[in-house]
Amino acid sequence: MVQALVDGVLLGGVYGVIATGLSLVFGVLGVVNFAHAEFLMLGMYVAWFAWRYLGLDPLLGSVLSFIIVFGVGYVVQRTLIERVLKAPPAAQVFLTVGLLIAIENAALMVFGSEFRSVSVPYQVEGYRLAGIFISAPYLYAFAAAVILSAALWFFLDRSWTGRAIRAVAQDPMASALVGVDTKRTYGLAFGLGVALTAFGGAVILPYITVSPTIGGQFVVLMFTVVVLGGLGSVAGALVGGIVVGVVQSMSALVFPIQLQNLCLFVIFIAVLALRPQGLIKGA
Amino acid sequence: MRKHLSPGLVLLLLFFVAAAALPFFVDPRGHLLRVAAMALLFAAMAQSWNIVGGLANQVSLGHAAFFGLGAYTSTLLFLRFGISPWIGMFAGAALAAFAAALLSFPTFRLKGHYFALATLAFAEVLRVIANSWASVTGGPVGLSIPFLGTKPELFAFRAVSSYYWIILALLVIVCLAFRLLARGAIGYRLRAVRENENAAEVAGVDTFRVKLTASIISAAFTALCGTVFAQFTFFFDPDSIFALSGISVRMAMIAIVGGLGTLGGPIIGALFLIPLEEVANAYLSSAAAGLSQFVFGAILVAAILIQPRGLMAYWPKSKAGRLARKDAKPVTPATPATEGGR
Amino acid sequence: MATHGAAPILEASGVAVTFGGLKAVDKVSFTLRPGEIVGLIGPNGAGKTTLFNSLVGLQRLTAGEVRLNGEKVSGLKPHRIARKGMTKTFQNAALFPDMSVTENVMTAALLRHDLAGARAKAEQVLERLGLTAIGDADVSDLTFPQKALVEMARALATEPKVLLLDEVMAALTPTEMDDVMAVIRSLRDEGLAFLVVEHHMRAIMALCERLIALNFGQLIAEGSPTDVANHPTVIEAYLGAGAAEAAHA
Ligand SMILES: Nc1ncnc2c1ncn2[C@@H]1O[C@H](COP(=O)(O)OP(=O)(O)O)[C@@H](O)[C@H]1O
Ligand SMILES: [Mg+2]
Repeated sequence: MVQALVDGVLLGGVYGVIATGLSLVFGVLGVVNFAHAEFLMLGMYVAWFAWRYLGLDPLLGSVLSFIIVFGVGYVVQRTLIERVLKAPPAAQVFLTVGLLIAIENAALMVFGSEFRSVSVPYQVEGYRLAGIFISAPYLYAFAAAVILSAALWFFLDRSWTGRAIRAVAQDPMASALVGVDTKRTYGLAFGLGVALTAFGGAVILPYITVSPTIGGQFVVLMFTVVVLGGLGSVAGALVGGIVVGVVQSMSALVFPIQLQNLCLFVIFIAVLALRPQGLIKGA
Repeated sequence: MRKHLSPGLVLLLLFFVAAAALPFFVDPRGHLLRVAAMALLFAAMAQSWNIVGGLANQVSLGHAAFFGLGAYTSTLLFLRFGISPWIGMFAGAALAAFAAALLSFPTFRLKGHYFALATLAFAEVLRVIANSWASVTGGPVGLSIPFLGTKPELFAFRAVSSYYWIILALLVIVCLAFRLLARGAIGYRLRAVRENENAAEVAGVDTFRVKLTASIISAAFTALCGTVFAQFTFFFDPDSIFALSGISVRMAMIAIVGGLGTLGGPIIGALFLIPLEEVANAYLSSAAAGLSQFVFGAILVAAILIQPRGLMAYWPKSKAGRLARKDAKPVTPATPATEGGR
Repeated sequence: MATHGAAPILEASGVAVTFGGLKAVDKVSFTLRPGEIVGLIGPNGAGKTTLFNSLVGLQRLTAGEVRLNGEKVSGLKPHRIARKGMTKTFQNAALFPDMSVTENVMTAALLRHDLAGARAKAEQVLERLGLTAIGDADVSDLTFPQKALVEMARALATEPKVLLLDEVMAALTPTEMDDVMAVIRSLRDEGLAFLVVEHHMRAIMALCERLIALNFGQLIAEGSPTDVANHPTVIEAYLGAGAAEAAHA
């Protein structure tokens, strides 16, 4: 029980970072990015190649994932997403769904369909603390997630670009008037959003194998986290991540593995129905 | 009341006649006819989706749920109890209608992204159930329908052309239903709901009931398509029948590429996309796995960016065409020649 | 003209709406009789639109009750209230943009008619408001005043007993205003009751037999137009501009 709680928190912290990116994109651009999980997949592949050919541990490779996917995201935003920012939701939904399909299959063409995993020295290690086993790769991924979240908070709060992003999220017109380049800021915010998610993908590589379809497994999970925390709320996504992580590992105690996701889906629909603005208020 | 036939409608009727005659001109057992049948089936599916997605603009990304319910219900009734799929298909439609009604309660307030997400999750729920409840559904390996030779009463035929005509009939029925709905009182109400829900309510439209009715009808037709698909392909599994991109998105995409909320859109979209995919599959899948699906995704992106009102917008007489021309010149507060005239 | 002896058609008692901590409508009570035109005045943000929304069912009440024809309607959905005979126009015309003018009005007329009947009803209402000539126009092509009139036509097509008008005359020229006022008066003579929000004091003074004034969600004065317009609290609420105009009207 306590063991499941600890596992859940460790897992959930990473979910938090993964979903924060999605939430940030919605919060700033107002676009629900259905393709978001594909950037998680890209981040995982970058980290895998960094491990395979540069010998980088995925925890370090994650930085590379962050940087590369940030660039990809910036370009995708400026060339594609930018053009539907003012379009009705249906157009945004289908543009990003089309992107999802295209990216997933591009990955299939480039990387092939095989599952790839890394081997790191601490893969099966762990720490024992008062009778609870803390798995090393989970712990390190969690720590990396916490560090990145802190960095994100610092960036949004202190840096000029971070403030510009928050300003544009609140009032694009006013921000433009005071000299913020809103288009560039949208691009940066999207890049940052997908980079955060890619980072989250990279740090879980030691315990999750990557394949072109890995994104699909994270789509609903990611959205559940974000909807729990309130779409657009970055802090809410972090809390939502931990909640989902705990729910997932707790339900594993009761339900067979396949039905684990069922719990998530049901929670997801229920939250959407009851409180589409999110459960975690004021976050 | 304008009762005369518009040029578009004449074209549509001509299309149906030509489509009915097609099996006489091509190999009745051949691949071409199979592709044509698939295109018509997807047109019928997209038209079913169009009832909620187009008329009410409730963008569902979960219609695979109803499609799969139709396929599973009729197939299981047949395999377990020997009930003819002709009867099973209506049981499936009823079940899908019921599921749509249930889903309406938690989702009726949701719009745009939220509705898309909730419906997506609903189809995923069914996919997970179909995969894990193996004692009833057969689990991940799916279901196959034994081939019995031609047994019309059991919805089994040797010739592709028989399925083809059944599918065509289904398409005609769905199109007819769409037109009756679009032109009827409910069509006005659905469009009102689509365009401004609060204003619709204040103008006396029971928005919940209108959306509920549309979803039920849409789900029932989608389930009929599911049964026909199962009979036509003999085999399906949870991951393919409840697929997000393979079914849910494709239904929506066909309607969108053709022209959202228009009668002809789903047909044009299906005739354009399904053969295109078929060609892509034939020539590209040997080149690299995933290439044809990549093309599919890229077309969707391109379609949204190039002409969000769909191919119908290139038909100048259609409403979609008129609206598209209006989109093209955004800032035109063109005052009509006659002022209020008081 | 108002049938003062008649039972009230609309009774609001203690109606309150809060948004978070903000009391947008604060325990407002008033009545409206058949054939009566009552003006609802108050500075911007006073809570007039919110009060309208709470009357027609678009906004849930935090407290209080609304009765229409003696029957409790608060808590019902807007379409039920419309069926029972009360509807409103939207301050920023909320027409159905992808429909023609006639189709907009028909949609509302379908509340009490079948398709053919609704078309006839729509044509009749458009005629009455002098909009026949623009029946086939797309509403996105209309001017502001035209939109406001179509908004009113759509509301009338539900055949209401109580009609709440939220600044329909805001963009009209004086002559257009006179035309609309004539229509409102003739409908009033048929027994329709109006609650009218308007910033043009001239229109309010000419049209209404009675005024209600709101400020910060509270009812601060009620009575004859001149009494309310000269009420010190009302003048204070408007702080000059509006008050001066009211006093001179
Ligand atoms: N949906 C809402 N949420 C929060 N506050 C609102 C909402 N609608 C209106 N308000 C607030 O309620 C007050 C009354 O607004 P409104 O009824 O529009 O005033 P009026 O129509 O008299 O100008 C204003 O302070 C406004 O900001
Ligand atoms: Mg107002």
